[in-house]
Amino acid sequence: MDAHIKKVYVPMTETAFYILLGLEKPNHGYGIVQMVEKMTAGEIRLAPGTMYGSLSKMEKDGLIRFTREEDKRKIYQITDLGREVLALERGRIERLYRNSRGEDAK
Amino acid sequence: MNADKNTKKVCKYFTIFEYEKEQEYLRQMHRSGWKLVKVTGLTRYHFEKCEPEDVIYQLDYNPQRTEQKEEYIQMFADCGWEYLQDYAGYSYFRKPAAAPGSDEIFCDDESRLQMMKRVFKDRFLPLFIILSLLLVPQFIGSLFDGDAAVAVVLGIMIALYVWVFFTAARQYFKYKNGRR
Repeated sequence: MDAHIKKVYVPMTETAFYILLGLEKPNHGYGIVQMVEKMTAGEIRLAPGTMYGSLSKMEKDGLIRFTREEDKRKIYQITDLGREVLALERGRIERLYRNSRGEDAK
Repeated sequence: MNADKNTKKVCKYFTIFEYEKEQEYLRQMHRSGWKLVKVTGLTRYHFEKCEPEDVIYQLDYNPQRTEQKEEYIQMFADCGWEYLQDYAGYSYFRKPAAAPGSDEIFCDDESRLQMMKRVFKDRFLPLFIILSLLLVPQFIGSLFDGDAAVAVVLGIMIALYVWVFFTAARQYFKYKNGRR
């Protein structure tokens, strides 16, 4: 993986993380907003300006790709590079979580 | 009622980095019963009388997306934001404060900063380069020539640019240092 991509996306913003997570299956931006609202019991409300900017940037960086359009909504899906980045970030968050609980490293 | 009493036009100037001030102004107007209809010409705001309501106004700067405008507007509409118009590269949105969803079109400082960078790169930098290449040498020249009128005009223009630059810097550090 490109060192630049790693530097930019690990760690990544909460919005970027949920975008990658939400695009393991094809989805559109608003679909991700709804998914996150449900997952966090309404606590995290992703905003459209942030979503639009992040989706464009991640598409440009090759982490997600545009698949088709449906009712004026762009459907995206995660790419192999996106999966790699998500795995790295997931590992980082898991380590953070373990350490925050004072658990021993494995 | 006569139409004039139901509409009003206000000329108000905000520099390109003062969009937060502009948003707050439009919200204040709507709260006092004047909703924005459109912005035209040189920062002429057209208002229409309405029921006072707390409505949030937000500006986004994303002019390169014209070919994908429909999808862009749809995303905001899905999230509850009414699209009003584009003006000087900015897109205007509004949403009643009481409506569900986020209160802002951005939910982190990173994306606020990204928007500012787009404004900076698109709107400020080109003019700033022209300023540096043309205005400053002319200004210095006019000082030597003793051409007071030219020196004053150029001096004012340079001062304006510098001032806009400072408003940009202030906004930048506000996001950079976390504003809440």
